[in-house]
Parts: sequence; structure tokens; C-alpha cells
Amino acid sequence: MISKIVKSGLTRRTFLKSTAVTAMSAGLPGASLAAGNTIRIGFLAPLTGAVAAWGKPGLDGCQIWAERVNAAGGIKLSDGSYSVEFVSYDNEYDPAKARTGATKLIREDGVSFIMMLGGDTWPGVQPVADKTGMLFSTLLPSDLSPDTNTLIAPAEVHPIYNVTGVEWLAENKPELKTAVMCAQDDALGLPSVATYLAAFEAAGIEMLDAPLLFDPATTDFAPVVTRLISKDPDIVCLDTCYSDYVHPIAEQLFQQGFKGQIISCTADFYDQMIAKTSEEFMEGFVFQFPDFDDPALNGDNINFTDPNGFYAEFNRRHPGQWGAVSWEYASIMDLWKAAAEKAGSASPDAVAAAMKEGKGKHAFGDADWWGTELFGIDNALVGDWPVVAIEGGKARIKDFRSIPDWYARHGDLLVKHMKAYDQMWDQRS
Amino acid sequence: MPKFLIWIAVLAALVALPHGLSFSQQEILVFLTINVLLVASYRLLTLTGEWSLAHVVIMGVGAYSSALLTKKLGVYVPVSMLLGGVIAALIAVLLSFPLFRMKGFYFLIGSFAAGEIIRLLWKRFRDPFGGAKGIKGIDPMPDFSIGFYQFDFFEPTSYYYFAGVIVAFCLWVLWRIEKSPVGLTFHAVHWQDKLAQASGVNVRAYRTLAFAIASGFAGISGALLAHYVGTINPNAFDIDLMVFVLTWAIVGGTATFYGPILGCVVLTVINEVVLRELGLEQMRPLIYGAIMILSILFLPNGLESIVQKFTKRRAAEGAPERSPAE
Repeated sequence: MISKIVKSGLTRRTFLKSTAVTAMSAGLPGASLAAGNTIRIGFLAPLTGAVAAWGKPGLDGCQIWAERVNAAGGIKLSDGSYSVEFVSYDNEYDPAKARTGATKLIREDGVSFIMMLGGDTWPGVQPVADKTGMLFSTLLPSDLSPDTNTLIAPAEVHPIYNVTGVEWLAENKPELKTAVMCAQDDALGLPSVATYLAAFEAAGIEMLDAPLLFDPATTDFAPVVTRLISKDPDIVCLDTCYSDYVHPIAEQLFQQGFKGQIISCTADFYDQMIAKTSEEFMEGFVFQFPDFDDPALNGDNINFTDPNGFYAEFNRRHPGQWGAVSWEYASIMDLWKAAAEKAGSASPDAVAAAMKEGKGKHAFGDADWWGTELFGIDNALVGDWPVVAIEGGKARIKDFRSIPDWYARHGDLLVKHMKAYDQMWDQRS
Repeated sequence: MPKFLIWIAVLAALVALPHGLSFSQQEILVFLTINVLLVASYRLLTLTGEWSLAHVVIMGVGAYSSALLTKKLGVYVPVSMLLGGVIAALIAVLLSFPLFRMKGFYFLIGSFAAGEIIRLLWKRFRDPFGGAKGIKGIDPMPDFSIGFYQFDFFEPTSYYYFAGVIVAFCLWVLWRIEKSPVGLTFHAVHWQDKLAQASGVNVRAYRTLAFAIASGFAGISGALLAHYVGTINPNAFDIDLMVFVLTWAIVGGTATFYGPILGCVVLTVINEVVLRELGLEQMRPLIYGAIMILSILFLPNGLESIVQKFTKRRAAEGAPERSPAE
């Protein structure tokens, strides 16, 4: 038969062409799924490169979320049920590629909503959001400004939730009186530095030195740690360092004999940190992101469907990959789904309006759309946030604390430090 | 076929090109056009034998200069782009004083260090450079109409035409420079520097000249990028992009004017179109790296050697047969 086809005129060129087309179509399963009752959601985040740890696990979590929602009947809108499908684009944490990705997702893939990590990539996408009116989400509220009202921060309120960890430490370990801090000198590090400074000041904890801002290209943290602990602080604060920094800093603190308290925004892959140091050294390490097998997440206040099951499934599929963002994009999708079903439509305008109506169902409880003072617009969903500590080699939620309550008491301090670091929305260039 | 007809056909194809592409491919086409200027300007620098690792940072100098001129001083965008190129060239002249005291490997490392110093300055001085987050909200090229065509610079097709005209003009200038006595002297500085020096050529002056001209055009490419994306930051001009430029130049080949351009086009299409379309997003770095290594192993003279092979064969086929007596 093959010889017949070849005889009938199948040239090498034709064969190569048809093979290429077949390969292309096999690699594009989404093209055949586009038809029918499917809502497409854009996932525009770094999937490769240095920041992929804050993108890729989020997409993995979203796939689990989509399978669960589709198995349960999909998203119910006024004209019927829709299954949900994620379309991803690797922006490599580059604003130009993020712009291309946003264009593709909106104009070619027909998505109804786009989730982003934010940060350096958002300014590249902002003109696309302005022109198209597409609803975008970011994990970094510092992207928010009155310039774009279609950008929301419904999951993570970085860095303001960091105040809850410091407040909890001050109440539960009052013997800790002094602190030092280090951070990478970038868009994630600086607003977080301002927040921790405000939180320490509010808690009456003295900063022994100005925050040590290191270059993001730093790879040798021995001198950083030596300088940090030279003043014998009670607390070492790692600010919002990337995990590529948190791990070697913790290792250096261990090797240089630090015995005090460590507080950090994240402790992604903390099991690896324990392996590099010791369980004793990591005992009491405070951070802000729980494992979702935590019994405290089974309370009625939690707006995340079956967190324990989600965690178990994620770890089954991606062992050792659980991190801060594994649940966050899925949590945003919970909120988006509820709003779309409430509006009976997936159109960005209708979903945004429904989402911002009344109390928001944040993963860790009811929350308010908030942020005019800090971000110039009420597009951040702010409520309670957990304080997590490592106990016996396992992350455990110690408490939920209210960010708005802290802000009502100490907001002036936060604004003062944010201004000092040029991090208020009207100071950003 | 007469040569001018070939050029008209090429021009027509370039004008029609975006209309056969998807929106995202049009976006990639814009960045590709800008990168063509970047890599072509880099080649001019390599004519003198020096491989700088600061070229992408110099591109950033043009981007930052143009962005700041429009944002802080309200300079008209096309003028600021030109000034971005001029400032990049001037910075290159300043850098040339310490850098051209070195040669070869030392120049390579020195240029990397110089580029990092500039990047650190952008990070350190939030005013005016915006620090680590860079500058956002950069004025776009103002829209205008030429009667039969409305230029809306949010649309990639419009910006492609605009950038295409600028890049084409810059390439023509670069080509003319290469073919001029100055360009021949650049070659001499590379291959016969002692002989050139003995002939009265001021080798250092010519190396500086090549560095400044190449940097000026890199600066223009940076300005084109800044006013399209609307934001720049120090990370946009880091060593990662420099590695890409080196790869384009090496894979394409640097013996001809078109070699690096060919490398840039082919590798960009493979990386940004083919591998993405095949759904291999997360394996792209791996496959891209493998393609790069394989092409270096099996095409040591670059992609240009394939073109040369075919054009020589065609020229040989078209040539009238000559008898041994002739």
C-alpha cells in the first residue's frame, strides 16, 4: 500500500510536509477543543527561566482545578454549562514576550480572563489591557494603579500580609527585641522591605541596621550573612527573597551558627532547606504560605474547595513541587468562577462587576476590595492571612490575622516606609 | 532576472508579510525586525576582531536615553530615538578609553564588566532610571496617517512598517560602511593589525570608530524596542539577551553581511514560532540549545555557508562554459 502511495506521487517533500502538519496538529490539542461549550482562560506567566518557580506550579494547580470543575459539571452560565480550559504562554518574565502572549491569548485563543504573576511583565501588558478591556489578575498588588481598572489582585496581597507574621512573633515571642533584614534590590524586594520595616516598628522591634539590599545576581551569600549577623540580632528577616536566595541564606545562617529567629515571606520547598540544614535549625521558621493539608484550612471560613484533596493530588502529580503559587492561581479561578456564575456570563466586564460586588470570597475568608491609599485603586482583595511556622519539619498554620485591622492601627507607618522607598503607587515611574 | 526586480519582489514580500501572519506572529515580527538591527550592528563591531559582551547593554543605553528624553523633556519620539542612538555612540566612545587598552579575551571580559557597571547604575539610581523596576509608561510613537494607510502604533503591523523602514535604512548605512574604505580598514585591523599599523593606520582609532558606530545603531534598536513595549528595566538588557545575540551571530556566520541576520531570523522563528506552536513551551530552552549546538557542530561556518554553497553552484551553472584554452 505504501508503495502505491509513493508511486501515486508522494515525494519526499510531500511526505515531510504532511508529517510536519500532523505533528503540528498533534501538538495543538487546544485547536480542536476550541469548538463547543468551552471557556478558555489565559495563563501568562514565566514557565521557564529563573522565575519559573512562581509560574509553572501555578499552571499545574490550575490543570487540577480545571479537571475538578469539569468533572463536576463545569461553569454554569445563563446559557448553559461550559467546561474550562487553560491556554498558557511562557512569558519568560520578559515584558516584551508578555505583550506578545497577551495579544495571542486575547486575539487568537479567545480567552475570557488572563492570570499573570505580574511584576516586571505587567507594564508590557498594560497597553494591551487598556486597548482590549480584558480582565487580568496579578499576584503582586504593587502592579495596581488607577491607570488600569481591569487589573485585579484577588489572591495574594503581597507584601502587606507580611505584617501578620511580625505581629504574631511580637505577641508570641516577646523576648525577640532586635532584627536585621536582607532582600534582593528589585521590584519584589523593595515594597516588602518597606512593609517589614513598618511591621517591626509597629511591634516595637528595633532594627539594628539598615536593610541589606543585595544585587539579584548575587550567588555567594556568605558575606551577606556574615554582615547580617555581625550585630547579633534576635531576628533575621529574609524579606521576599526568591527561593534561590532563601535556601543559600538559610544554609549560610546554619553554617555560621545563627541560633535566633528567622522570618521570611516564603519558604518554598522548605523540606530541601531542612535537608541542607537540620530540623532543629528550621524549627520555628516563620513564613506566610501554608501547605494545604493543614487541618486549619478545613474551617468554614476557607473559600477553597477541598484544600486537603487538592494538596494530595498536586503532590501525587508533582512531588516536591508544592510552593506558594501552587494554589494561588487556582484560588483566583474559584473567585472568577463564582463571579461568572453570579453574572451568568464570562465576559470580562460582567465578571469584574460581579466579582467586586459585596464581600469577596478570598481563599482565607471573606475579604474586602481595598487599596486606594496604597495602590490608588480598590482592586486588591484584602482580609485575613495565615501565619505559618515550621514545627517538627512540617509547616503548620499558627494563626489567621487580619491585614485591614493591622492597617487601621498602623497604616501611617506603612505609608511612611513605602514613601521612603518610592513604592507608593504615585511614586512608581 | 534584473537585480532591481529581485529587490522589488523582496520589498513586496516584506510589505505583504505581516498580512499572512497571526497577531502574535506579527508581534514577533516586530521584535525580530528590531533584533535584526541589533545583530547587524554587532557584526560591524566584530569586523575589527573584537567581540564585546556589552552590546546589549549599549542597546539599553539607547532605550533608556530615548525613554527619558520623551518622558522627562517631552522630546518628539522619532527625534528621541535618533538621540538615543547618538547617546549610545557617545557612551561607547567613553567606554573605549579603558576597553581598547585590552585585546581579545581581556576585551571580552572588560566589556562584560563595563556593561554590568552600566546596568548597576540603572538599578542604583531610581531617579531617573527607575531602579530595578525600570521605566514604564514610555510614550509610544504617535499615530499618524499617510492618506492610504493609518499608522496605529499599538498594532504590530504599523510598528513593523515603521521599524522596518528605519532598520532597512540603518542596514543600508551599515552595508555602505562595510563596503567603504573604512570598512576595508576594519577588516585590515582584524586580520593584519600589525601590517595595518605599519601602513599608518591608527588601529585604536578604527576600533573605536567601529565600536561607536555599532553602538549607535544598537542604541537605535533599543529605542525602537522601548517605544513599542512601553517599558524597560535593567533585566531586559542582561547577559541572557547577549548570549542570544552571540548565538545568532555564530549560528548565522559572520563572514558575510547577511550571516548574522540569517541566524537571527532562523533561530527566532524556530524558538518563538515553531517550538511554541508545537506546544513544547517548557522544553524550548532544551531544544533550542540542542539546535544551537548541533548547528555549530555540523555547520561550523554558519548558515551563510549553505547560502554560499547554493549561490556559488547557481553561479557556476549559469556561467558560460569555457574551454581550457580560454
